[in-house]
Amino acid sequence: MLKITLKSILDNKIRFFLTTLTVTMGVTFVVASFAVADSLRDTFEGLSADINEGTDAKVRADRPFGGIDDSVPLPVSLDYLDDIRAVDGVASAAPTYFVFDPPVYPTDGSGNEVRTFNGPPTAALNWTEDEVLAQMYLIEGERPEGLDEFAVGPIEFADFDFVIGETYTITLPEGTREMQLSGVMQFGFPDNAAVGAVLTVFDQVAIQQLMGFEGVAEEINVRAEDGVTSEELVERLQAALDDDVEVITGQEATDEFNDAFGSIISVIQTVLLVFAFVVLFVSTFIINNTFNIILGQRIRELGLLRAIGATGKQIRRSVLGEALVVGIVATIIGLLLGFVGALAIRALIEAAGGSLPDAPLPLRIRTVIWAVALGVGFTLLASLVPAYKASRIPPIAALRSDGVGDEGNAKLRYLFGGLLAVLGIALTAFGLFGASGTRNVLSLLGGGAVIIFLAIAILAPLFAGQAVSALASPLPALFGSTGTLARGNARRSPRRTASTAIALTIGLALVTLVSVVASSLKESVDRQLQQVVAGDFLITSEDGNTGLQTNVVDALEGADGIATVVPERSEFVQILGEESQLDGVSLDTVDQVFDFQLSEGSFEGVDVATSIAIARSYAEDNELALGSTVPVTFFSGVSRDLSVTAIYDEDAFYSYIVDNALLEELGVVRSIDDVVVNVDEGLTEDQGRAAIEAATAGLAVNIQTRDEVIGSFKQAIDIVLGIATVFLGLALFIALIGIVNTLTLSVFERTREIGLLRAVGMTRRQARRMIRWEAVVIALFGALLGVLLGVAFGAAIVGAVPESFIDRLTMPWGRIIVFVVVAVLFGLIAAIFPARRASKMKVLDAIATG
Amino acid sequence: MSQASPTMTTAAQAVAASKVYGAGDTQVVALNQVSVAFAAGQFTAIMGPSGSGKSTLMHCLAGLDTLSAGQVFIGETDLSSLNENQLTLLRRDSVGFIFQAFNLIPTLTAIENITLPMTLAGTKPDQGWLDQIMATVGLADRAGHRPSELSGGQQQRVAVARALASRPSIIFADEPTGNLDSRTGAEILEFMQRAVRDLGQTIVMVTHDPVAASYSDRVVFLADGAIRDELMSPTADAVFDRMRALGD
Repeated sequence: MLKITLKSILDNKIRFFLTTLTVTMGVTFVVASFAVADSLRDTFEGLSADINEGTDAKVRADRPFGGIDDSVPLPVSLDYLDDIRAVDGVASAAPTYFVFDPPVYPTDGSGNEVRTFNGPPTAALNWTEDEVLAQMYLIEGERPEGLDEFAVGPIEFADFDFVIGETYTITLPEGTREMQLSGVMQFGFPDNAAVGAVLTVFDQVAIQQLMGFEGVAEEINVRAEDGVTSEELVERLQAALDDDVEVITGQEATDEFNDAFGSIISVIQTVLLVFAFVVLFVSTFIINNTFNIILGQRIRELGLLRAIGATGKQIRRSVLGEALVVGIVATIIGLLLGFVGALAIRALIEAAGGSLPDAPLPLRIRTVIWAVALGVGFTLLASLVPAYKASRIPPIAALRSDGVGDEGNAKLRYLFGGLLAVLGIALTAFGLFGASGTRNVLSLLGGGAVIIFLAIAILAPLFAGQAVSALASPLPALFGSTGTLARGNARRSPRRTASTAIALTIGLALVTLVSVVASSLKESVDRQLQQVVAGDFLITSEDGNTGLQTNVVDALEGADGIATVVPERSEFVQILGEESQLDGVSLDTVDQVFDFQLSEGSFEGVDVATSIAIARSYAEDNELALGSTVPVTFFSGVSRDLSVTAIYDEDAFYSYIVDNALLEELGVVRSIDDVVVNVDEGLTEDQGRAAIEAATAGLAVNIQTRDEVIGSFKQAIDIVLGIATVFLGLALFIALIGIVNTLTLSVFERTREIGLLRAVGMTRRQARRMIRWEAVVIALFGALLGVLLGVAFGAAIVGAVPESFIDRLTMPWGRIIVFVVVAVLFGLIAAIFPARRASKMKVLDAIATG
Repeated sequence: MSQASPTMTTAAQAVAASKVYGAGDTQVVALNQVSVAFAAGQFTAIMGPSGSGKSTLMHCLAGLDTLSAGQVFIGETDLSSLNENQLTLLRRDSVGFIFQAFNLIPTLTAIENITLPMTLAGTKPDQGWLDQIMATVGLADRAGHRPSELSGGQQQRVAVARALASRPSIIFADEPTGNLDSRTGAEILEFMQRAVRDLGQTIVMVTHDPVAASYSDRVVFLADGAIRDELMSPTADAVFDRMRALGD
């Protein structure tokens, strides 16, 4: 039987190639997802291991709540240094600073600023006498000393225009400073750079002064004397120091870092795997359909095998064997192509403006296991039913000239499909409206969607015949008998048409869903910004996410042409016992730049040290009223009871706000997020921009009008939408392969029919046209069904997310029309090969067949 | 003399037609310098044992296959001078076909099958002519049925009607009754006979059934790729005798 299986594969190379290709793409995606995520993980784990390499213990301020990724580090007083050094077993101790995206950066000899935009991360840090402790090694020149010297990392030195000994301009929060480049220092190991970070290095005194760390350190790193373990050191330090500091081992610090970044990487990995799953899921339908069609065509052959003594079990094994070969070959190729896929994913993310480190792509055993399990598993799953059906073919089938109807028990089928549909809708509805917790909601939605798609695949034959007839009804009028034939072919096997179209349906449903949600989100953001923001300009740092220094506010306030200046800043706090971000504005003037629709109390004239303004929805959820007490604990550990002095209706931006003065007093974040500015009345946009530019001359800021802010929001959404569409486009591509496969098999099946048509005078052109329009009709059916589902899913999701996030449903009709047109084009492309086959068919051979 | 005299119009003819398959040791000569003419308005049967070349001759005459040497004509047209597309158009416009089985397109109704060559050509069928054919074959009430809803005999009658519908200059039939029981077969043959006598059609039929051949006006006998004999106004017994003689 194995021989027969292999022969069957070898005799049908194209079919084998196409089915294998669909699974290969899915496996490739799975492998690529893991490789990209693992590579990220390796990079960050390498980084954290390097950071903590020579450190046996870390002393830092005790955080009251939150993880290391929730807030800037809480500074620890340098007063502890002497206490630490006095502890028995301490070899050395030094304050360390490691600031990512620092507000301090040099400009090279050619005028290029060494900053993060889309390149590798930038960091400012200090060196210490104990090289091992800070992991800073001198490569060339001298270490920087004092306020007039700095060093750069090797990447910077190679990529930028720097010469040791020359003087360069350093941008500081409060202006610029000329400093001399003393040398090149490397982080990690003396002989190889650990991470692809761009470094600017200062000595301890300089970094404290330049970056505002007077009297404090981010952390104090400690190295133990020989013979003292990390744990012993930590214990001794803990005993010697006050309770407001925390002492952890270097290993604990590494783990903490990995956990923080690991969770972000896991999200990326999960998102990529979801896309990979979609591709495999769609492939399953294609494989199932292919096996079903083949089964119909081989019915006489299989009947003959049964007649001459093959058992049903052997037949079943033969079909499963073919599936197994497809699965294994696809998995092996997928494993190899996975790395190409990973590079493609990186390229895509980079094209969209993101950046991923260029680290090697690891292949883990876990990846291989998943690839095999998914690749082989999905293929076998798809062939189970066909294999079972094949085993039930009676020997008499060998003698019948007509194929056996493959419709099976229709009633049972539709009952089962109906039940699945109900289950799927119930799960989705519960996910949307009943469940809580992101993970639960997403699992329910995902599971619901999978079940609904399965149900539709099972139920589609019920209406595919009529739907296809209706869609194809203009064809006879347009193309005469060719059109009539195309229509007849498309509807002759509703089940086959449905299974072929369903792949396209799933792909398009997801693309449409994402588009509907994205366009609704864009519209909502647009409306919210238009309605809520009254300010003329938004000022951010140049790269948009590193924050601004308060000197920008000082420069703007009172400057010519500037009417109102409202800085915005944020802190990580506990409010009403829950960890959250607390935003600060200038309460006095906030209503001049935001229209929050104040309904009770007042923003102005309140005691800013104890006031909080809250949104009505937040007030209702937490049973708060004007005058209620809201306890807030700051990251520094200080708590304060705030009093509700204003309640506003518009909750799109903030659930609660306080005055900046309060955050300056109790917070730990020094920078501000952005500044909203109103210029003097009567100024044009250009004049207003000029006024701001004049006021902030010399400061690295980005000035945007409200419309520009809205535009960049929309652009960001479009980028995410674009990436999702590209990934889901793979599913569409697989659907394309599915159509090619079905049509090729159908053409083969209809050899005699096509031969007859050619004999009675159908030209090659007409034969091609007949196949082409059949493909278009199938594609159109799949596309319309997909768009319908996508719109329904999208509307359900938009309806389920909170109003403050998306408050209106907007249909991207233009895009949807494009999707349908693209699907029809896919149909045309898919038809090229089968149509050629049909038209090249030798009339005589065709008639002689069978 | 024979009715295929030069005075009658020739619907189709082969001139020194040869067809060779393969080369060297495996070479098979299917037709060996065959020259034969088919008069318009005549019902001709081509007979011969299996492997005699009768099907090959028909396929080459109908433009379904090409010759290795020699010429075939439909009317005045030399088929060897036509390219693939021209051959297709010639089949569509000037030739009718009736095959042994699988004559109809399953997705089309009876009437759609009958008018297929014309709709492929984009021409409008002559409704009066169509009605006449439908009445003659007795399918007027079955026009809207699909092939799967018709009996074997009805299907074959649809095939005959299709061959007639476009008024081709010649109809080729390949064992048209091979799949039918003798009574239904007789109906079809009588009908073909009427098409020739009453409607003036030209039919060339390949068969190995002497009874079927007896419905024709003229029988041409083929063996080993060459014309061996011919018989005018045949009876079944006479055909049977000639066949037996060929076999000896």
